[in-house]
Amino acid sequence: MSDMASTACFVIVSKNDIPIYDAEVGSAPKKEDQAYQHQFILHAALDVVQDLAWATSAMFLKSVDRFNDLVVSVYVTAGHTRFMLLHDSRSEDGIKSFFQEVHELYIKIFLNPLYLPGSRITSSHFNTKVRALARKYL
Amino acid sequence: MGREVSESCVDGVVMEMVAAYCGRFYAAKPELAAGRIEAIGFQVGHQLSERYTMERPRFTDHLEAIKFICKDFWSELFKKQIDNLKTNHRGTFVLQDNHFRWLTRVSLDPAVESTDATENDSGSLGDSAAQTTSMLLYFPCGLIRGALTNLGIPCAVSADMSNLPACERLHDPLD
Repeated sequence: MSDMASTACFVIVSKNDIPIYDAEVGSAPKKEDQAYQHQFILHAALDVVQDLAWATSAMFLKSVDRFNDLVVSVYVTAGHTRFMLLHDSRSEDGIKSFFQEVHELYIKIFLNPLYLPGSRITSSHFNTKVRALARKYL
Repeated sequence: MGREVSESCVDGVVMEMVAAYCGRFYAAKPELAAGRIEAIGFQVGHQLSERYTMERPRFTDHLEAIKFICKDFWSELFKKQIDNLKTNHRGTFVLQDNHFRWLTRVSLDPAVESTDATENDSGSLGDSAAQTTSMLLYFPCGLIRGALTNLGIPCAVSADMSNLPACERLHDPLD
């Protein structure tokens, strides 16, 4: 595994285009202004995702957009929830596995009868697990 | 194939829910009870569809989503697929199930049937018996509506049971 500090920002966007979860999961030291920039880049990529999502039946859309040296990869579920990851060109397989495992965690949250679909995910358990997965795969 | 415990549990829960909403919570207002039961089904269908679509590729159009409901979704819920799918190509789909599992155990108390009903004809039901059975169908209708809405197809679902134990579902996508 690379020892370089990696930048990564992970956002889950519901089908109503509302972000329901976001986290900076890179191993680089976190800087306030950079976090905002990352979220901005991800939101700007949503249009591109919209076009691509209807063109294919695959869930993992690989990299849909670039910004400087950062790449946006997206994974879309059947319910049109988008998992978006902003990263600096890591291995695609690792990212795909990351998305698949987060999908399983997301389904567990979704099946919770007390969770309102489309609302923010506030579970600290989910947060911890996503960060652990990011350390493992990214 | 033996009957599994979970299936009896689902039967029990659905019957109790219908009895509670119709008998206790909204005793004199069957439309409100029906609405609530359908809403519960909607949320469950919404969640189940997310879970059952996890392993498979996404859908490219409405017909694929309807076929998923007819095959995979129906098999997960009722252990069989839909027997017949018809469409009028203008947005309405009719799903026909000739042996709807959740109705196979419905027994009708003869004392409640209306006095003009003729002798036991499995096709005809007294008024109140038909109403009781139709109450049981609101939950599955909600299930289907919830699943389709999550897949991106807002629709209205209604059930028609002219020949028990067969059952027909009508979907009307609201465009």
